[in-house]
Parts: sequence; C-alpha cells; structure tokens
Amino acid sequence: MLRRSLIPALGFLLAALIAGCAGRSGGGLRAIGIESQYADVISQIAGPYAAVRAIETNPNTDPHEFEASPSVARAIASASLVVENGLGYDSWAGRIMAAAPNPRRKVIDVQRLLGLPATANPHLWYEPGTMPAVASAVAAALSRLRPAQAAYFHANVRKFDASLEPWRQALAAFKRRYASTPVAVTEPVADALLEAAGCTILTPHSLQIAIMNGLDPAPQDVAAQQALLREHRVKVLVYNRQVTNALTTSFLDLARRNGIPVVGVYETLPAGYHYQSWMQAELAALQRAVSRGISTESLGQGATHP
Amino acid sequence: MHLLELIVPPGFLANGPVHTALIVGAGAAVVSAIVGVFTVMRGQSFAGHALADVSSAGGSAAFLLGLNPLLGFLGVAALAAGGMEWADVRDARERDLVTGVMLGVGLGLTALLLYLGTIRGSTSGAAIAILFGSMFTIPASLIPLALTVAGVALVAIAAIYRPLLLSSLSADLAQAQGARVRRMGLVHALALALAVSLAAMTVGAILSTALLIGPAAAALRFADRPGRALGWAVAIGWAATWGGILLAYDSFYWTPGHGWPVSFFIVVLIFIGYLLAGLAGRRPARQGLERPA
Repeated sequence: MLRRSLIPALGFLLAALIAGCAGRSGGGLRAIGIESQYADVISQIAGPYAAVRAIETNPNTDPHEFEASPSVARAIASASLVVENGLGYDSWAGRIMAAAPNPRRKVIDVQRLLGLPATANPHLWYEPGTMPAVASAVAAALSRLRPAQAAYFHANVRKFDASLEPWRQALAAFKRRYASTPVAVTEPVADALLEAAGCTILTPHSLQIAIMNGLDPAPQDVAAQQALLREHRVKVLVYNRQVTNALTTSFLDLARRNGIPVVGVYETLPAGYHYQSWMQAELAALQRAVSRGISTESLGQGATHP
Repeated sequence: MHLLELIVPPGFLANGPVHTALIVGAGAAVVSAIVGVFTVMRGQSFAGHALADVSSAGGSAAFLLGLNPLLGFLGVAALAAGGMEWADVRDARERDLVTGVMLGVGLGLTALLLYLGTIRGSTSGAAIAILFGSMFTIPASLIPLALTVAGVALVAIAAIYRPLLLSSLSADLAQAQGARVRRMGLVHALALALAVSLAAMTVGAILSTALLIGPAAAALRFADRPGRALGWAVAIGWAATWGGILLAYDSFYWTPGHGWPVSFFIVVLIFIGYLLAGLAGRRPARQGLERPA
C-alpha cells in the first residue's frame, strides 16, 4: 500500500526535477538517433517534448565508414536518450558514451532490443518488425524521463504502428502476387525487405559482404553476378546508393545495358521522407520494377507526411 | 588433362575479372621487375617505396574526384619522382631523410583525401583498394591505358639501356665516359614512377614495393650479368603475379568466406622466390653487380 502511493509521488518529484533542469538549460529533452531513421522515429514518438538530432544523415556517404567529430561526441555525451543500431554499424557511438558516463542517459541498442546475434545483417530498419519495437522502447524510455507525458508517448506509438499498416499490407500483397521473384543486389542493405516481400536474392552472399566491408571480392562471385544480369536471370537490381565503388558501378552499367530495372536503396533516411513513406516508396519502386520494368534509381524528394 | 584441371581450376580462364587481372598484373610485374633491377643497383629501393606511398595521395585524390585511379597514381608519382631527381641530394644519409619526410607527407595527404572521399562521395573500400590493391575489381576498360603506361616505361628504358646501366653501376665511371648521368637519373625516375603507379593499381600503393624490389633483389642474388638479372626478375615477378592470381582464385574453395586477397599471395610468392634465389646464389646479394670498388 505504501509503495503504491510512493511511486507516483517519486515520479512526480523526478519529473519536477527534470523539468527544473530542462528549464535551466532552456529546452526539453535532448535525444539522438545515431542513424537518421531512428531520429525520425524518436521525433514521431516524442513530439514537442524532445529536441531530436540525427548524426548519420548524409545520404551520399557510407555510414559503415563514418568517423565521429568532437562536436558529435559532445552532442552524444549530453543527450538523455540515444538510439543506436548496434551490430558494429555504429560502434563508435558506444565508445563515446563509455568515455562520458551519464547514469541518467537512456540508451536503446536496437540489436540488443531485438536480441540478435552478432552475425545478423546490420541493416535492421528494413525488417518490418524492427521499428515498431524501437518505437515502443523509445516511448518507455521517454516515459521514464518525462512520466507526465507517458500517455502521450504511448498514444504516439499506437499512431506510428497504425501508419505502418499500409506498408505491411502492400508487402503481403506483393508477396502473394510476385512470389519468389529473382533479384540481384549489390550490398545486403535491403535484404530484409526483399525477404519480407518474398523475393529470392540470387547474388552470392559473400559478394554482398565483400562490398559492404570494402574487401577484395572473389572473382567467382563477380562473374556470377555479371551472369545474373547478362543472362536476364533476375527481374531487378537493388542498388545501394550509399555503398558504391568501381565494382558496384560496373554492375549498374551492366543492368542498364541489359535493360534490367534498378531500384536504389539507402542506408539512411533519404531527404524529405519519414520512415513510413520511405519504406512505402521502396516497395512501390520494387513493384514498378517487377511489374512494369521501370527503374527508380534514386528516390528523390519524398512526401513529407508519413 | 586432369593434371591441368588440378592446377588451373574450372572457370579460371573464362572469368572476366581474372582476365583483366592477368593482363594488367603481367604488365605491372614486367615493368616493375625491369625498372626494379636498375632501382636496386642504384641503391634507391627506399626512394622507390617512398614514391609508391606518395603516389597513394594521387590514387585517393582520383577516388575523391571520380577520375581514373591510374591517372591519379601516375600524376603524383611522376611529380614526386621529378622533384626527387631535381632536388639531387647526393649525400645518402640526407637523401634517406628527405625521402622519409616526403613519404610521411604523402601518406598524411592520403589520409585526408580518403577521409574527404568517404564524406563527400560513396567510395566504399577505397582505403583498402588504394593501399593494398583490389585486382579483381579493375575494370576491363583500364587495360589499354595500363598497357600503354607499361609500353612507355619499357621503351624509355630500352632507349637508354647501356648508358643507364653504366650510370647505375657507377655514376663516376659513366660520367668519365661522357654519359649524361643526371639525364639518366631523370629517365630512371620517370620510369620508376610509371612502374610504381602500375604496381599500385594492382597490388596497392604499399605493396607495390614488393613487386618492384622483390623480383629484382632475388634475381640479383644469383644472376651474374645485367641481362640475365633482367630476365630472371621478369620471370620471377610475372610468375609470382600469375601464381598469386591463381592461388587467390583457388582459395575461394578452401578458405572460409570468399577467398583471401590476391596481393597476399603475390607477396608470399615473391618472398619464396627471394629465399630460393638465396639458396641458388653463388655469391651474397648485391656483390654480383656491385659497383667496382
């Protein structure tokens, strides 16, 4: 009985304390999504109650090769909520946080949240189940930081989940209609989406890994990929626009020359998109490629509403 | 037939990336071996290595600007080689110091350009490709340019073969006989730049020294005449390069993952060649063709 009345009281006290701190620093909570897609989800859940910043936002660079600057380190050290991908994708962020310990900081490591082994494909956001779990975890963390707004945060999670429903339905429809569509990829970024859509990825896994990690590819794998494109054994080439080199460009040229449609995919949120509209745009591009042979090499400027 | 299949794995000769690697690799190996013999005789091995490191700045600049990487390596290597000859530092100790300082500057610049490259453009794996080579990703369209570079270097060496040889053995003797030693030095430096940039394209800037110095040093351990040393250096370099490509292709089937880097196999074969040459050599290294005391 005592505990029941004590917890809300403590929560209220804590909220007042935080409000006081926030008042002194002149703003609300500061939250960071290391990758811009996580920052987008934090924003949708936190609404006006957090200033959200994304670190990896440049759609022209390869996040695998990101190097943190001192200003990024300061921003991460002073944030009260950080969402990181894990799986070695942004391990520098963990090192920064370890160097600047802060017991009040809430950290969501998406790999750990989903309980994935270290060998999993690190591009977790293309997996349909990932972001709903992230949204819930973000709401839980924000509710501990700002208990007074807990109901608001949880309502936003329900809104977020509902807004993903059209994408989930489109995925199911694609899977029914175009089951086992053979596809080639340059890099494993969107493999989870392709699997959810029921596609069969014919590119050797070791080639995808070599390109992702910037390693010397095996000539056997290169020849196998070239044969897929030259002999029209795939319906589409899914091209990672952020992990490119002379080899991926040569695959792109080969696909164009052989009339195989290309779908551009991304490591971070493309400009003008929210997570939901981004995923829908990728699926729509895939559908255009498979059904009508139309390329969508880049997503361009997207609609700003989810 | 079965024995051939055991040595040459199925699909090897029909493989596009292997074709390109064999052609460009052979060109780089031949030119590096021939230029390398003169470089070793002139006692400029360290300069050759430094040139390769400095040229990596050109390779990374080309990645940043989206140019042909061979042109980048070539431009900076030629500039650096010309500068090194122009400065004409005679004192060996001071020459080592200047070379070492320039090597540091070149690699520092490479670090900056690679950083800018990963920030501005999507050049995944550029660092590994530039420093350690990525033979199976060389586009086939590079073959004509690579062979032209190799040809120019060989013609330049052939045109001044005798006086270059003399000036490499003994600058004083060559001068007494009326050879233009400084011009020889400049031509050697430019041929060195061509060799190093070709080798940097194939085994990477850092490992290009292996292709330049290794076969030449091995050949000079037992060959008693310059002509034979050139022949042996070419044979060792060429065999190591093609053998390395073959082993890298083959390693796809017996390594976990997707095979080991071709640069590793080439360097190992060159090292084995160097060790075997020591066993075969009648005289210790460098004495066979050492300048007369």
